[in-house]
Amino acid sequence: MSPIEPHSTLAQRQAWTSRSIGSSWQHQIFYLLIRLGGRRAAYLLLYAVIFYYTLLPSVRRKCSYYLHQRFPESKAWGRFWNSYRMSLGLGKVLIDRALIGILGPEHVEVELHGKQELLDLVAEGNGVILVNAHVGCWQVAASVLGFVETPINLLMQREEGDIDRHHFEHAGIDSPYRIIDPRGDLGGVLEMLQALKRGEIVSVMGDRMLGDDRNGVDVDFMGGVVTLPFSPYKLASVTGAPIMVLFSYKVGPKSYALKIYQTMHIPGGLGRRKEKFTPYVREFAQRLEGFCREHPFQFFNFFDMWNNRVSKE
Amino acid sequence: MNVKEKLKRVLIEDLNLEDLDPEEITDDMALFDEGLGLDSLDAVELVVIVQKHFGVEIKDMVESRPAFQSINTLAKFIEERMS
Repeated sequence: MSPIEPHSTLAQRQAWTSRSIGSSWQHQIFYLLIRLGGRRAAYLLLYAVIFYYTLLPSVRRKCSYYLHQRFPESKAWGRFWNSYRMSLGLGKVLIDRALIGILGPEHVEVELHGKQELLDLVAEGNGVILVNAHVGCWQVAASVLGFVETPINLLMQREEGDIDRHHFEHAGIDSPYRIIDPRGDLGGVLEMLQALKRGEIVSVMGDRMLGDDRNGVDVDFMGGVVTLPFSPYKLASVTGAPIMVLFSYKVGPKSYALKIYQTMHIPGGLGRRKEKFTPYVREFAQRLEGFCREHPFQFFNFFDMWNNRVSKE
Repeated sequence: MNVKEKLKRVLIEDLNLEDLDPEEITDDMALFDEGLGLDSLDAVELVVIVQKHFGVEIKDMVESRPAFQSINTLAKFIEERMS
């Protein structure tokens, strides 16, 4: 019997890629610097490398989609400087992620806001859906979630040929998370459902469409309209799992914070109409917008979210 | 009412497939894409529907995935678990 084919049309037509820029040997230089000189040595090279990349129009264009929405009044020099800061923010996150794999997690401090709240939600026994975004560094921040003692499942799409390595790959250990591929059968929803039925944590990104086109709704975001997935909220409605919106952000050279921005209990029986889930997606978008106001250079979507909408086609 | 007929009826009711009558759903019709047109998230609803109306809990998604092909395969899966 043939497997059920995924019908992921957005994944085929999406204009963006999460694949890292830079070649393998360039990454290796940073890894070597981390081993020899620690974070400071790697950051020093990073400042120069990011400056070079910011000179490239293609890199500034990737930054411009978000920065135009966030800083609509900025002039040419301001746009250049903001592109530099945004790219530098991502570069530091990637170095920190490699650093905890190479040198150990004790080299990064993570402050968790809302520990008891998370424990209370897990104790409800319906599983928990963590809705994150491409901000800060989720993998670094998640290293403090070990106290939950509940398996964490990560819905994650990895680009073919991506040379960027995760911290556990640097450390040569098994992934601490169970990875669910959204390009798998039925977008991985059955695996997510099964994990929630076991009372586990499922972590998804709420700011990018992965998988099925139809699982997105248009909501206002930073002065424009974007398509964001409603699948986490539908899963929550069907399973009774609470939603926890949490974002990570870098607060110092060697420290991160992981903060719960909102919890939601989605009522059951909302049916199939995606409009029913729009209010929850809108709430998420508002929280994310608030985050971007607080931490403008820790938002890492380098594609035109505002021109990638399903309803435009 | 046999399992297939009941399955068609509850799919229409619970998934709000208002445009369809049970007679229009053939036994070999695919549940997803070109068939009934369900999407990946409807698979979640399917799991709930099967448990709610037939008392069959789908525990192992990998093992039960082939059952999500068509009305025939899903009805067969339910009948086997019920017996």
